[in-house]
Amino acid sequence: MKNKLNNKTIIEVKSLTKSFNDTLVLNNINFKLLEGESLAIIGASGSGKSVLLKNIIGLLKPDKGSIKINGVEMVNLKRSIKEKILLDLGITFQHGALFDSLQNWENIVFKIRNKEKLSNKNAKELALSIIKRLGLNSEILTLYPSEISGGMQKRVAIARAICGDPKVLLFDEPTSGLDPVTGSLIDKLIKAAVKTVGGSAITITHDMASVCRIADKVILIDKQTISWSGTPEDMLKANNPKIKDFIKSTNPKLFI
Amino acid sequence: MIKLIFNICGSIGQKFLKFLSNIGHFFVFFVNAIFWIFKPPWYFKKIFYQIIDIGYFSLPVVGLTTFFSGMVLALQTYNGFTELNTETTVARVVLTSITRELGPVLTGLMVAGRIGAKMAAEIATMRVTDQIDALGTLGTRPMQYLIAPKIIASLICIPVLVLLGNTIGILGGYVIAIFKLEFSPNIYLYATLEYLQWIDIIQGTVKAVIFGLIISMVSCYFGFNATKGAEGVGYATTASVVISSVMILTSTYIITALFFG
Repeated sequence: MKNKLNNKTIIEVKSLTKSFNDTLVLNNINFKLLEGESLAIIGASGSGKSVLLKNIIGLLKPDKGSIKINGVEMVNLKRSIKEKILLDLGITFQHGALFDSLQNWENIVFKIRNKEKLSNKNAKELALSIIKRLGLNSEILTLYPSEISGGMQKRVAIARAICGDPKVLLFDEPTSGLDPVTGSLIDKLIKAAVKTVGGSAITITHDMASVCRIADKVILIDKQTISWSGTPEDMLKANNPKIKDFIKSTNPKLFI
Repeated sequence: MIKLIFNICGSIGQKFLKFLSNIGHFFVFFVNAIFWIFKPPWYFKKIFYQIIDIGYFSLPVVGLTTFFSGMVLALQTYNGFTELNTETTVARVVLTSITRELGPVLTGLMVAGRIGAKMAAEIATMRVTDQIDALGTLGTRPMQYLIAPKIIASLICIPVLVLLGNTIGILGGYVIAIFKLEFSPNIYLYATLEYLQWIDIIQGTVKAVIFGLIISMVSCYFGFNATKGAEGVGYATTASVVISSVMILTSTYIITALFFG
């Protein structure tokens, strides 16, 4: 994915270290996400990718290090200011994290309705316009998350993240559990979201085809730290054994 | 041998410290929850749904329990007092037992079983499926959106349920007294009203408010701090019911002692 990149740093992670009890999960993580850039984070299960994302969005507090979003230091930031910053991000969680007690359309417009007053009619229309982009039909809007398939739930979660066209998107395994066609559709949507609003995205994924389709830059987390980084093209030529293992699992050249 | 004693003492000490830490954690949660009860905006729609769930849907189980308790109480009291030829005191015993103790405690225990378990399971499921984390990233405070409406609704509904439960319990005693023990309806009713005291109603209502606080706080606390997936949800549910019930029975003694001790 080639976007015109600016030099403006959207997210900057410096010397981030995180451990749980005595188990070190992330050690000295450093990277930057530039405006208009799509960054893919890859790594084996349990390597700490989701922990890194949770640190960025303030759900976990790093033991050491700094996380800046649009130049604002997030670690130890006052909660009310942090919440305002988070409102400008679109986030999806690994398992969707849709609210069971709300219908799908209410889930999708949840954040927007916290920001501004929106009638039910307008909110439903907004939700409909978003789910159409994701290949879902209008019937699912009035259903509850438990009444739709896992793949649909994933797409509703993505719809919730992109509602309001946030400039920074953070996706935790957006295509896991989806069929290849839907996975490809989601990738296109991430690309479109980054391109159309001039935004930036961090995507955590295991799907190498997806990495090649959406990423400008890839980082590999292995043994608690970033063991490799580069472009998807570099990745295909890399000598790193972990990268090679990942590439072996699929044939990402097909998707470039 | 000395090593074994040290190990046992160490283990007990560790458990005690953990217990103290949990108490502290609960206290922080309690203060935080109280703060969010008073902090606008209030989610009135959510409070309304909780009132329906806690109040309206608990009424059948509370009504049945207190009705049969009133009936049993009338029957047992009559049997016990027959030997003393004091049948007329049945109304007084039923009234006092129900309003002071049985009404609030049975209502509290029933609501703890029905609503406390539900609250804990709901919040714990939200916790282990990242829904609470998601709330935080969508501009909503989980304490304000999830916990405060449940506590507010409990504080409104449980006193009302206790008052209704008391009335139904007294009615249960009346039914047995009139239709089985063949008391005069007028005399029984007169005796009931004669012995009805404000202090009993106030004490029952105070208990109800405390029980409402206990049930909602304990259930929300265990749900909110759930870990370890499905197992964690199960633990949160069980712990909330057991601890709420124990706290209800403990606090009922303390309140009774304060009022009548």
